[in-house]
Order: sequence, then C-alpha cells, then structure tokens
Amino acid sequence: MTLTAELVDLLGTARVLDHPLRRHVYGKDGGVTRGDVELVCLPDTTSEVVEIVRIARRHGLPVIPRGAGTGLAGGAVPLGPAVMIVLTRMDRIEDVDVESKTAWVGPGVINLELSQHTHRHGLHYAPDPSSQSTCTVGGNVATNAGGLHCLAEGTTVAHVLAVEMVTADGEVVTLGGEAPDPIGLDLRAVAVGSEGTLGVVTRVLVRLTENAPASQTLLLAFDDIENAAATVSAIISEGIVPGALEMMDRVTVEAVENYVHAGFPTEAAAVLLAEIVGTSAGVAAEANRVASIARANGAIDVEIASSPAQAALWWKGRKSAFGAVAQAAPDYYLHDTVVPRTKLVEVLRAVYAIGRKYDLLMMNVFHAGDGNLHPLMAYDSAQPGVLDRVHAAAEEIVRASIAAGGALSGEHGIGIEKRDLMGLTFGPVDLDAQARLREAFDPEQVFNPGKVLPEGSRCFDYGRPPVGAEA
Amino acid sequence: MGWVTPEAPKPEELSACIQCGLCLPVCPTFRLTGDEVASPRGRLTAMSAVADGIAEVDDTFHEIMSFCLQCRACEPACPSLVPFGRAMEGARAEIAAQLPSAKTSLRQSLLGRRGLGSGGAVRGITRLAALGQLAEADRWLPGRLKKPIAGLRRLGLRSTSVIGQTHRPKGTPVATVGLLAGCVMDSWFPEVHKATIATLVAAGYAVSVPESQSCCGALAAHDGAVDEAKALAGTALQAFRDVDLVVSDAAGCGAHLKELGHWASGGRDFSSKVRDVTELVAESISVGRLPRLAERGVSVAIQDPCHLRHAQRIVAEPRDLLRAGGYTVLEIDPNGMCCGAAGLYSVLRPETSSELGDRKAAQVMATGARIVASANPGCEMQLRSSLGSGFRVAHPVELYAEAVGLV
Ligand SMILES: Cc1cc2nc3c(=O)[nH]c(=O)nc-3n(C[C@H](O)[C@H](O)[C@H](O)COP(=O)(O)OP(=O)(O)OC[C@H]3O[C@@H](n4cnc5c(N)ncnc54)[C@H](O)[C@@H]3O)c2cc1C
Ligand code: SF4
Ligand code: SF4
Repeated sequence: MTLTAELVDLLGTARVLDHPLRRHVYGKDGGVTRGDVELVCLPDTTSEVVEIVRIARRHGLPVIPRGAGTGLAGGAVPLGPAVMIVLTRMDRIEDVDVESKTAWVGPGVINLELSQHTHRHGLHYAPDPSSQSTCTVGGNVATNAGGLHCLAEGTTVAHVLAVEMVTADGEVVTLGGEAPDPIGLDLRAVAVGSEGTLGVVTRVLVRLTENAPASQTLLLAFDDIENAAATVSAIISEGIVPGALEMMDRVTVEAVENYVHAGFPTEAAAVLLAEIVGTSAGVAAEANRVASIARANGAIDVEIASSPAQAALWWKGRKSAFGAVAQAAPDYYLHDTVVPRTKLVEVLRAVYAIGRKYDLLMMNVFHAGDGNLHPLMAYDSAQPGVLDRVHAAAEEIVRASIAAGGALSGEHGIGIEKRDLMGLTFGPVDLDAQARLREAFDPEQVFNPGKVLPEGSRCFDYGRPPVGAEA
Repeated sequence: MGWVTPEAPKPEELSACIQCGLCLPVCPTFRLTGDEVASPRGRLTAMSAVADGIAEVDDTFHEIMSFCLQCRACEPACPSLVPFGRAMEGARAEIAAQLPSAKTSLRQSLLGRRGLGSGGAVRGITRLAALGQLAEADRWLPGRLKKPIAGLRRLGLRSTSVIGQTHRPKGTPVATVGLLAGCVMDSWFPEVHKATIATLVAAGYAVSVPESQSCCGALAAHDGAVDEAKALAGTALQAFRDVDLVVSDAAGCGAHLKELGHWASGGRDFSSKVRDVTELVAESISVGRLPRLAERGVSVAIQDPCHLRHAQRIVAEPRDLLRAGGYTVLEIDPNGMCCGAAGLYSVLRPETSSELGDRKAAQVMATGARIVASANPGCEMQLRSSLGSGFRVAHPVELYAEAVGLV
C-alpha cells in the first residue's frame, strides 16, 4: 500500500492531508523559514501516533512533530520529505490532582487554557510564554519554553514531572514520574527542550502552582533606556524578585498601544512592567519599594494598576508585542539571547548600533529580570537584499551577546534558524556529546532530522545516514 | 491564474499577517478540527499562495474558504491588525468570479437572483413559514430547513412591517435617526423594531424608517456577490441621505453598514453615521435621557453576536442597558465564540453549525438563566433552535423596553 493509503486506513480522509495547498499551509511555523511537507496527519490518540511513526518508518520517511506552530526557530518545518504529526487534537486535560498539584495533559492542550481550567482549584501552570494563548504544552515541553513569570518560577523544565513519548521504534515510554526528583538519570529533563528530535510527546505530567493571593502591577516609564536597565539591576540587587519584570522600548510601546489602547506612555524611551506577587500586605509594601527605586533611578512616571482589568490590559500589551510590531513592517526577525544583567546596557547599546549599521528598524522587548533579550528587526522581505542584511545583523547580535558573557538562549528553541550559530556557544566536545545523546534515542534520525545540531556535530561520524536522506 | 477581480485580497492585507498564530484559539473552525488549514492564519496562507501563483482558485480553495464562518473573532485577536473579514470577502468574490459552479450558490437558489434585495421575497417566505408553523412544519421539513424554522419566533399571518413609519418625540428631537428595517428583521422580528422605535423615541430621537431602503447587502458581500452588494450599498446611501444617524438593531447589518466604504463611494461618510441600537440606548441611559432601574433578581444570559463583538467591538453596551433594565447579567463565554448561525452558514453547513450551536446552548444552560439576550436575528434563531423549549431568547433592547414599560 502507498503511504497515504495506509495512513488513510488508520485515520480516515479528514485527518490525513495530502492536497498540495493543504500541505503548503503547514510549511511554516512562526519563524521565517518555509519547507515542503509531504503529508500531514492529525492523530487523536497515542496509539495512532505509534502507528503513524511505524508506517512512516516503513516508508523510509522521517517524522516532524508539530504543536500550534508558534515556534520561532523553524523547529516544526521539515527540511526534506517527511510526515508531519500535528498534535493539536490531543488536547484532553486528564485528571487534575488537586492534592498533589499535578495533572496529566495531552500535548495539544493550550498553555493558557490549562491555567484557566485549574483556576477553580486555585492553581495554574506557571510557565507563561507570550504565546500562551495559542501554544501547546507539548510544544512548550519540546522547546523548554520560558515566559514572563520564569524569573521567579523557572522555565518549563521546572514544571514537568513526567513525559510520555513515542520513540523511533514505535514504543511508548514514560520518562520521569510523580516523584519530584526521580531516581537514576533524570531522562525527563532530557526530553524537555529536545525540540522534537527524540520522540513525539504524547502526554505530560505537569506540576501546578498555587495562585498568588495578591498581585500588583507597576508601569514605570523612563526617558532613557539606560535608566530603565539600571532600575532592573537595582530592584534585583535589593533582593526583590518580582513575579515578572519586562521592558519595552519606545517603538515597541507605540505599536502595542495602537493595538491594546491601554494608555501606555508612547513618548517614553522605555517602559518597564513589574508584577509583584505575594500576600496583600507584602505586595503593597514591595510595590512601594519598587516605585521608589524606579524614581531614584530617574523614572519619569510611575503608575500602579488601578484594577486587575487594567493590569491585564498592560500585560496583554506586552504579550502581543511581537505581533504588534509587525504594524511597522511586514516581516520580523526575532532574537533570543541571554546576557548577564550587569551587561544589559552595554549589549543594548551594541544592538542599537548594529541596527543603525545595517539600516534595520531595531526594537527591543524583553524579559529584563533574567537578562533574556529579544532584539527584533522589522523589515520588508520584498526589498531586495534585505534578508542578507538581516542575517548579517543577526549574527553580529549573537556575537555581541556572547562576547559580553551571554549565551544563545534556548527559550525560543534552536530549530533550523539558530542551528548554525550553535558553534558560537558550544565547542566540538559539547556538540559531540549532544549528538551522542540524541543518537542513543534516535540512531536513525527519524525525528526532526537536521534540527538543533549543526551538521558534523558528531566528531566521529560513523552513524548511518538519516532516514530519508537517500530520497 | 491568480486573482481576477479588484475586490481580491490586497497584498498589504495579506502581508500584514506575520504568522504569529495568536488568532488560532479564538477561531471556531480551528477549535473544532485542530487543523491549521481551518484557521485564520491557514486561510491567509492559502490566499497568499494564490496571490503568489503557487495555488489556484479551485475547488479545494473554495472548500477552505467556505468553511470559514466569517465570524471575525480572529480580528480582535490579531496584534498585527490584519483586516481578515475584508480579505475573506475578497477571496469569496474571487471564488464567485472564477468558479462557475460556485456562482449558483445556495443563497441565490434559496432567495432568488436579487437575494434578499426585494422585501417581497422575504414577505413571501414569511407567509409560507407562518403557515408552516401552523402546520407544525418542523416535523416534516428536510433537516436543512428544520432548524431555521424551529428558530423562528411565532409569526403572524398579517404584515407587521414598520417601513414608511415616522415617529417624533415630545419636544425637540436630540437627532433624527433612520432605522434600517432589514430584510428578515422587518418580517420575522417585528417586536424588536417596535421596542427599538419606542426606546429611541423615549430617549428623544425622531425615528423614521425610510420607504426607499432595501436589504443592506451583508449576505451578498459575505458570499462574494460583488455587483449585488454594490447595488444594495448604493440604495442604502440614497435611502438614508437625510438623517443624522442610521441605526440598526441587527448586529450583522450594522457591521456591514459600518464598512460600506468597501462597497460604495461615499460609503465611508455614511458609515460614520451608523450606530447599533445598543450604543444609542446605552449612551442615552448614561446621560439620563432614559431611566435606570434597580436590580430585581431576574437573570439574563448574554450572548455576543460575532458581528457586534468582533466586527463592531461592542461589548459593554448591551450589558449596560440590561443592567439598567434591572436584570442580572450572566456571562456565558469569555471569548464570545460563534454560535454557528453565521448568516446562511447554518443552512449551507448544517453539521458544523449545529455543533457550535450545541456548544453555545450548553454554555447558556450552565448559567441557569432562562432568558438569553442576543442582538442579532441569526444568533437568536440559532439559540432558540439549539436550546429547545423552556427558554426565552430576546433582543437586549426588547428586554430593556419591557422592563421600563415602553412596550
Ligand atoms: C508572539 C509569540 C510570542 C512568543 N513568546 C515566547 C516566550 O515568551 N517564551 C518562549 O519560550 N517562547 C515564545 N514563543 C515561541 C513559541 O511560542 C514557543 O517555542 C512554544 O513553546 C511553541 O509551542 P507550539 O505548540 O507552537 O510548538 P511548535 O511551534 O509547533 O513546535 C515547536 C517545536 O516543538 C516540537 N514539538 C511540538 N510539539 C511536540 C510534541 N508533542 N512532541 C515532540 N515535539 C514537539 C516541534 O517539532 C518544534 O521543534 C513565542 C512565539 C510567538 C509567535
Ligand atoms: S494573529 Fe494576525 S498576524 Fe498573527 S497569525 Fe493571526 S492573522 Fe496573522
Ligand atoms: S472569521 Fe471566524 S471562522 Fe473565519 S477564520 Fe476568522 S475566526 Fe475563523
């Protein structure tokens, strides 16, 4: 039987997409790279995933897992002929264990909806990427997604207790378990952040976090981005750990205001949003301290959200920043690097200078608290030669961050788009070790071949050619 | 072949989409299927594929586009401000132009070449439907038509049209407003027009219902029937040229009139005069021209018609005026997902429509309320037929007018 016939037998026609236009729609995620998709499958159960993996292998094709396709690194974009497994339909929230604050969920559960679902128990799922209204828990696990509240709460890896995964042999394995600190090698942590290169995540045991009894959001405006950065350092060095601490520069604030109409000060050079969480008395006192630190560091305006609705609107603005900046130009390239907080100002200066050098509109919006920078270049790909400038600028930005002691961040994943920059952070020994780990799970590169690790990562390349390489 | 009409999705409409995916979770067809192709982003990608010459306007393209409910929930979700509804009308216009088979759509075969343009067609259908209700036609009609009939209010056999009427307030009018009678509203929802007129007159407006008006053309526009939509837009411009404000008590019509600039020159100025009735009433209450009652323990579940909430971004006003009527307002759905009525969608794609209708009905039932407020005729019918007996579905202005004793 042909590949399509076998899969249609398994899933029916509605859940196997082979029309060229339908496949084309799946050729891209939230990043900039487009690829060709051979066939798309939409399974409902783990056993269907198992069968799809087996069928794909029998036909010599690799497998690309996909969640909501909000990834920014081309992680869900195939580089060659491959079968795509889309996990959005596997979106069941199984039993929520209120006592132990855990829940088993399908990989297609939408991040925010998990928190909405557990709200009545006073619980939420802490990692909250800006894309949380759309992205899936499976995609979050695969990319070890971070978010606004990861400053205080840590990234996805700190909130996942176990991962059920379909392996290259079509086996179902569970890595980790209900114990918070599993015995032996912690393979759960290997699965988190593996970007779909080790297997297809089909169930996740997440840790739920208690909702804070109270919170306050402050909006701090500065006429100088350096004062904003200094405020960030001062807040942290005073021993205050805000739930979230986020910065947006002027161009970003303007675009965001045009979308949410939340009353952001569009004339400020930089805006900091800080969320203080805790008991109501503690929150009020800490909010006052943050306000006076900001004033001491030259804030031109300090505002405390007058209602939860206003705070929610401010945060909605921050979370839609990437989308809103597209009002400035139709395309964007988004960076994801981490720099030491003390070097924030220095790196920011360098980033703006790189923007000027390559004549690109540079915007900055980032998780200020943990030094996770997201410089963003807006451009119009219809302009000839602009992509070359974008790529050159991108590489310079990464070099500048690494020179300042920073790292290529994993928050958005490495995928295809940051893959060839891995060598800037990792030496041959590191890359070889990562390649071997991957080989232990997936020796034939069935899953997401060509992603994350640059070609030649394996120092002694006696491995077999990846599945599908001969096609 | 690419695009062939001037209405086609424009390059700047398509390139505004940066594929962030933030519109996916609010899209009803994506939520039902989990399929990117059935999402706003997917549909825009498919349109771009045609614009770029990678795909054709063929049956698959038609299928992808016609699955869309045109609910426009994706618009407020989009931080890049993609005008999805406009682009989709463009795609529909292309389908009508390029696919001969799509030209004789069900809309046309049901309602004739002039669509709902002639009130006569609707009046004819209305008499039939009224007779059908007497004969309990919902028992023997084919499935496709069973639901819509079940969703109708009890119809009278005598005409109740308000067309041609004028009403003056006591004293000097605050402004003169022209009421859009609409095609189905006038025949099937006469009580809503009555409440609208009574409330606006009480608020100090002079209300007229111009004789020369016809259907607003929304259904034609959604269906890609460009010539028809343009002709009807021209008629509306003429009919309402002498009033200060144009008011609609059907969200779908109001939304279309507010965007008449796409369909007629001079349409933009016209659109700036258009208001949904809930806007005028809520404003009148807030400045004290209409009374506000104390809460009295009657619960009303509020349903947001897509073309009120997503297309016109009107959320607070219907709630305000219900509260002013002394009702306790119960929310049914934080995202305001489509109830599946979506104009003629309920007849064209009954399965998807019913699935969404059932979801909505379950949300209403979960509130415990026995009264549901909806500001759009299509939604009202969908809710009534999905909820079954034991529930009252009414326009918020009707409920307000009853509460303060205007009707
Ligand atoms: C507007 C916007 C804001 C964003 N903000 C943030 C942010 O603040 N923090 C952050 O970390 N990221 C952010 N991102 C990036 C993105 O949302 C995250 O990487 C997210 O985790 C991707 O989830 P997804 O479901 O969309 O996965 P996809 O994009 O579909 O896939 C991402 C990767 O995961 C793999 N994958 C997906 N599902 C599975 C599975 N079930 N099993 C195995 N592999 C799988 C894919 O192969 C791919 O490599 C943002 C993106 C956008 C568009
Ligand atoms: S939210 Fe807007 S920009 Fe983002 S994918 Fe949807 S339509 Fe495109
Ligand atoms: S109009 Fe409604 S159905 Fe159509 S793409 Fe937008 S959200 Fe989905």
